[in-house]
Parts: sequence; C-alpha cells; structure tokens
Amino acid sequence: MHGEYKMPGGKLVVVDLAISEGCLVQVQVSGDFFLEPDDALHAIDAALEGQDAAADEHMLAAAIRAQLSPGVMMYGVSPEAIAVAVRRAIDQGTAA
Amino acid sequence: MTRTLWRDHDWHLIHTDPQSPALHMALDEVLTHEVGAGRRPPTLRIWEWGRSAVVIGRFQSLRNEVDGEAARRHGIEVVRRVSGGGAMFIEPGNTITYSIYAPLSLIKGMSFQEAYAWMDAWTLEALGELGIKAWYQPLNDITSEGGKIAGAAQAHRGGAVLHHVTMAYDIDATKMLDVLRIGREKLSDKGTQSAAKRVDPLRSQTGLPRDAIIDHMVATFRRLHGLSDDTLRADELAQAHVLAREKFTTPTWTGDVP
Repeated sequence: MHGEYKMPGGKLVVVDLAISEGCLVQVQVSGDFFLEPDDALHAIDAALEGQDAAADEHMLAAAIRAQLSPGVMMYGVSPEAIAVAVRRAIDQGTAA
Repeated sequence: MTRTLWRDHDWHLIHTDPQSPALHMALDEVLTHEVGAGRRPPTLRIWEWGRSAVVIGRFQSLRNEVDGEAARRHGIEVVRRVSGGGAMFIEPGNTITYSIYAPLSLIKGMSFQEAYAWMDAWTLEALGELGIKAWYQPLNDITSEGGKIAGAAQAHRGGAVLHHVTMAYDIDATKMLDVLRIGREKLSDKGTQSAAKRVDPLRSQTGLPRDAIIDHMVATFRRLHGLSDDTLRADELAQAHVLAREKFTTPTWTGDVP
C-alpha cells in the first residue's frame, strides 16, 4: 500500500506499508525531505511498525515524535506530514 | 562555537578531471569529514562527471524514484548521495555541480532556510553578473523568471556542513523522464512538453559555453570570499576510492531505502 503527501511549504513524503492483523508492517517512509542525523529515518520506520491501522493522524504523529531523539532536525517534513502519508496509504481511496 | 564569516576562512578550490558518480559521492563524504576534523581548509569543489548518472536523495526510495531497467538501457549509473533532497538526472556536460565543505560555524544560529540561501549568495551574484535574475525559492531551489535553474542539499557531519548544488546547463528531458519515475508521475497530467519548461537551463539563458559559466562563478567566489587553487591530497583520494568501492557502489547503500 502506498501513500504520498506533499507537506505545504515542504517536501514530498512517501509511505509504503502492509497491514497484518490490523497492524502496520513493513513500513517504509521515504521522500525528498531532509533529516539530521540520517539514521532518524530508521527510527521513524520503527516507530510506525506495529501501530494500529485504525490509529488517527494525531496518534501516529505522537508515536513518531516519541521515538525521535531530542537532537533530530527535520526540514521539509514533520511527524504530522508523515502521519498524513501513512493514513493515505491505509485509506488507499484517498487521492495522494 | 561562535559564528564565522566567509572571509574568516582560507577557502581552497578543487576542480579535477572527470570522475565516476560513485567517486563523487565518496569525495563528498571524505572531504566533509576532513574539513570537520580540521585537516583540510574549507573548500569549494567543482565536479566534472565521468558518466551519466541518476543521483537519488539520502531518504528517497530507489524503486519509487528510478526505472532501473531504463537506467541500464541508457548506461546510467544510479547512486545514492549522503544528503536529502530529490533525484537528479546527470549527463556529462549538461550540469554544473559544486560542493562547499565548511565548518558548521559558518551557518551557526541560522535556520535551514537561511543557511541554504547564505551558502549560495555568491552563486546568485554570479548569475546576476551573467544577466540572469535568479533567487532562492525555499526550501532548496534556485529559480529564475524562466524556470528552475538548480537544486541544493545540505548535510551536517562531524562538525562540518556539506552544501552541494546541481545546476542545469542543458537537459535531455525525454531521457530524464524515461529514467526518473517521480518526474513521470508528477508531470503525468501536464505532458512531456512541460517537463522541459519546468527547468530553464543555463545554456539557453546565457548563450555561454559551460566552461565560461564555471570560470565566471569561480571568479565571483574568489572575489567575494577569497580562494586558493588546490588539489585533492593522495590520502583523500585513496579514502574516497575505498568508500566508492565498499559503500557507494554497493546495493546495500543504494538500496538502503528500497
């Protein structure tokens, strides 16, 4: 399942995932955004892995935020923007 | 750490013969670390491309961005760089690419947006002197009335900032759209014709040879910030060759975000 979201004033966030027994699995966040340090991307994927597929954007963004180290810097992307792309991947009918 | 100004640093220039795409990726990593460790003065490096390439951003999905079969058909090397941002389609002679390796003090206290514009202020001045009214379009584009000219990306590593920019000198939009998937999807409602219009390359805007534009840019940097001619040290090149072989040409790195 695939979802895309262009953050207003920011960059494109792409999410690929599958759903198994109501949970998100094989979550891959990607896009043309900027993250420092770069291994924060794997922390974001890990934060989303296993989340309830019924979780709303607020809950998904909070899960990402909780997993990120305090020093992580994001440019052109945010936990909220990633959460929107995740929801779009789950609700595939929504236009990307 | 206090904020430093361009003139506080002894800037060095590296501009060598064409090198492979993977070696360019490796040189960016090596030289950023060397400047961060204080073993190399802050440096401007002008790239010459040894072969065609697609360079994807650190966080982009390889399969979402690149048509691997089309890349192989055209003999295009696909590499992943260390900085974020979007995919670039490179053909030797069609782009002007440079990197700046600087201590983080040069952008201390700046927002990302300010830091991008600050690192390329000399480029905008050089373009203005060539008759192109160009400006920074946040987050990371240099654009003009005719269209986009360049894209920039920054990465922070070990006390240094890497700022690199690829400018379009000329462009084969048809081949680009054959190889880049996102380009194809983004433009699917507009048709191939407008793909060429989104980017307005320097060749049509200036009528100048590529080398003349590079010479002018280097002269502008030299006048504004000071610049001494330099070369790669043997140990820097040796480190980069190892990194190119063991990291930047491997499927593990290129497919890190599959």
